[in-house]
Amino acid sequence: MNRNVDLEQEGIVVKKSCCYFCHQNCGVLAYVKDGKVIAIEGDPEFPTNTGGLCCRGNIALLHLDHPDRINYPLKRVGKKGEGKWEQIPWDQAISEIAAKLAAIRDEFGSEAVATAGGTQRTDDWARRRFMNLFGSPNGFHNSHLCWIPTFMIETAICGWSPFEIDLGASRCLVLWGQNPGVSSLPEMHHLTEFREKGLKIMVIDPRFTETAAKCDMWLPLRPGSDLALILAWLNVILYEGLYNADFVENCCVGFGELFAHVEQFTPEWAAPLTWLTADQIRESARMYAMNTPGNIQWGPCVDQLGRVSGAAIHARALLRAVTGNLDVPGSDLLTGPSREYITDEEMEGNEFLPEEQKAKQIGSDKFKLLTWPGYSKIAEATKKIWGKAPTAEWMCEAHPPSVFRAIISGDPYPVKALLVSATNPVNSFGESKVVLEALRKVEFMVTCEYWMTPTAALSDYVLPIAGALERPTITSSYGCTDFLLASQRAIQPMYERRNDYNFWKDLGVAMGQGEHWPWETVEDAYFAKIEPLGYGTENYDEFVEWYRFHFPERQYQKYLNQGFATPSGKVELYSSTLKDLGYPPMPEYVGPVENEIDHPELAKEYPLVLTTGYGFMPFHHSEHFNLRSVRYINHEPHFQINPKTAKEYGIKENDWVWIETQRGRIKQRADVTQAVSPKVIVTERGWWFPEREINEPVLGGCMESNTNVLTSTRDEDCDPISGTWANRGLLCKIYKVDGKEGK
Amino acid sequence: MARYAMVMDTRACIGCQSCTVACRTHNNLPVDMMYNPVTTVGPTGVFPDLHMVHIPLICMHCENTPCVDACPTGASQRRDDGIVFVEEKKCVSCKACVMACPYGARVPNHEKGTVQKCDFCMDRVDKGNVPRCVQTCHQKARVFGDLDDPNGEVSKLVNGNHVVRLLGELGTEPYVFYILGLEAQIR
Ligand code: SF4
Ligand code: SF4
Ligand code: SF4
Repeated sequence: MNRNVDLEQEGIVVKKSCCYFCHQNCGVLAYVKDGKVIAIEGDPEFPTNTGGLCCRGNIALLHLDHPDRINYPLKRVGKKGEGKWEQIPWDQAISEIAAKLAAIRDEFGSEAVATAGGTQRTDDWARRRFMNLFGSPNGFHNSHLCWIPTFMIETAICGWSPFEIDLGASRCLVLWGQNPGVSSLPEMHHLTEFREKGLKIMVIDPRFTETAAKCDMWLPLRPGSDLALILAWLNVILYEGLYNADFVENCCVGFGELFAHVEQFTPEWAAPLTWLTADQIRESARMYAMNTPGNIQWGPCVDQLGRVSGAAIHARALLRAVTGNLDVPGSDLLTGPSREYITDEEMEGNEFLPEEQKAKQIGSDKFKLLTWPGYSKIAEATKKIWGKAPTAEWMCEAHPPSVFRAIISGDPYPVKALLVSATNPVNSFGESKVVLEALRKVEFMVTCEYWMTPTAALSDYVLPIAGALERPTITSSYGCTDFLLASQRAIQPMYERRNDYNFWKDLGVAMGQGEHWPWETVEDAYFAKIEPLGYGTENYDEFVEWYRFHFPERQYQKYLNQGFATPSGKVELYSSTLKDLGYPPMPEYVGPVENEIDHPELAKEYPLVLTTGYGFMPFHHSEHFNLRSVRYINHEPHFQINPKTAKEYGIKENDWVWIETQRGRIKQRADVTQAVSPKVIVTERGWWFPEREINEPVLGGCMESNTNVLTSTRDEDCDPISGTWANRGLLCKIYKVDGKEGK
Repeated sequence: MARYAMVMDTRACIGCQSCTVACRTHNNLPVDMMYNPVTTVGPTGVFPDLHMVHIPLICMHCENTPCVDACPTGASQRRDDGIVFVEEKKCVSCKACVMACPYGARVPNHEKGTVQKCDFCMDRVDKGNVPRCVQTCHQKARVFGDLDDPNGEVSKLVNGNHVVRLLGELGTEPYVFYILGLEAQIR
């Protein structure tokens, strides 16, 4: 808010909007006059941010009308990627896209159309609905890297994923590969507060982070070795008798098998694998198991280990179960989906997708849990207990790397069109070289965007999308919790921007889906979702103005009367769901995707351990690089390297350095810091350079410092259960960029 | 009359720089200007035995003001409630105050030809609001209020904790107080 703006002038309306620049959706008060937002500030009454806003939130007005924003539908007129565009009306764009999709469907089948999505700032249920009605099972997100494997594996074992934590009554919080000090500031505030009241906080992270600097115990494990640590924790907890015998006896099945299974995983066994001492492992396991009730907060890293992820998530879920840290006050809570309002899943129209199309979902033959085979099983079990299924968009998707490969190879069948929304795949999906090849090759691509990204630049149509202040928002953590937070739009979209909801609906209507899109505006659709709550408001905006939130009364230990949503009705320490899908029913040990023990030859050539893609202020994923007002804080890409290693390689602070894996190399500047072990290299994610030419061949320099070039998406490096690919625990080498290659 | 003060609780500050950006937006400053940089000290120590602390800086709103004393035109002033500010139309940008301020709190605005600085958001404070940087801080690491109000958070924090004032030995008597936590001890 600018001090020159007089907020007491006449005609100002205050709208309860929100910030949309990360997942937190902090509440924002928008001061609107004559259809223009003249000021914003954090809403002091919003329960999560209580008036706070981070760097990104504070520049919302610059984002709203930034000169780089795309404001009109664009149609490619030159060669693909050449940067020649023609401005066309929306109607024309929609009808041309519909005609092209229909032609592809007629020639190659509906499954030849795929969609790529990004973080949840879109109405993904609408995208799913369109795809279901269109007949394609091939929607996908970056979500394999972010919580979705966790959600589904935990649900397989405990009947829902304990996504909410009850910190007020908790005695111990484990932050596993999470750094709320940059990624969820409202949460970080609560941590500080509760820690003052005695909550013990443990951070498990190879990096000394903002959060690690404020915790009681920090475990700097070898990147990618999480599974070894978790198995050793299980060993300590079971063999030292620190488990909750009552809970295990009454609420779990398979304890005997688990007890025998983890005998081998002693702290001494895990010590060399994790680079921790056996004492550290014992002490940390005891800290968690002896300070009950406690929580293990989800962090994305375990979802990003590639082939290790599934077993690690599985093992971590067992930690909660054996300590009884499930759905009791102060522990990880099993809220289940809301039974009071209509969830995203119920809006998706999954019933419209025929079985034979479900069977064609790319990757569902290899990675079974996050695709129709596993999702159907889970949905069946959860419906019995909760009456509802998890959101299919996110939880039941085509395997992204396999879709990109299908575009390139035509195997298992041709994929001819890609509809991209809220993501910039070249920078955000794994093995960027493969992704780029696919984007260059795909016959037809439409991108819904704010900016001309490297991906948008390769599209046939680029469509201007409404941002935070121009659209309403409703969030219930992807339809996976039972509360909701609602915000209204401050203004109607500027220029010719539209909601993504309107894009999917209009496209659907143009393709004959009209009867299935009864909601004219996105507000109408949201209102349909919340009407069963019975607040008695006339419309969505009224709900936001008068109530804004819905928090049902907390009920604990629901399992006592309803059981767990698993086939046996108990927590399955020995998982029948995973077993039925052909996976080990208990977590087996596998080493990190690339490691010095299993791959000594590789480790000779690539001697350093790489973990890629950490989050850093002020950016979110691959965006905000356009905004000078935040970019100045962190102008160029940096990787972290220990001073000892830097000295060995003759690298000084700020030097440009090549970081190379088997897949390719990128350059970032050296941040010489004690924050990482001498054996570890950590790179920043997301980087591309909007200030450069965003057309072929430069494409915003999207491969130059982009850490995803280094990651691996080979089938054998992906987690067999979930399909997530490998971003952490890889092997790399580094060398200085020589003068000529530098900038 | 109030005596305004700010407490920087470094136990809570995570160095996110939201305050820096919020201030710049509020004061409509050019990209290269800021009133309140946040400096990060660390990680200090040797891996894995580390410490890190973030120290937000602003104008200290000194009681004894070398800057005001140095100002030849009377543009730099100190109000009775302790807020030190620059009356821009009197400022000739001679930069005497910039030289005089031991905290580096004053920044020349080359676009406008003035020297500017944090004024505790007196526009907001006079209307009963907290400064912009205080409101925007998710961590509540910045606390603003009247030091003379015994029930106010500021006096509770200042009296209930070991607080330090930067460069205390200079006798400027700043009204910005720092709480350094255990883990924040700079080695
Ligand atoms: S906003 Fe708060 S936490 Fe962030 S840097 Fe400023 S004072 Fe520290
Ligand atoms: S910090 Fe500097 S500018 Fe602020 S009152 Fe003290 S001397 Fe003056
Ligand atoms: S009090 Fe106001 S002017 Fe001073 S640093 Fe904070 S936001 Fe900026």
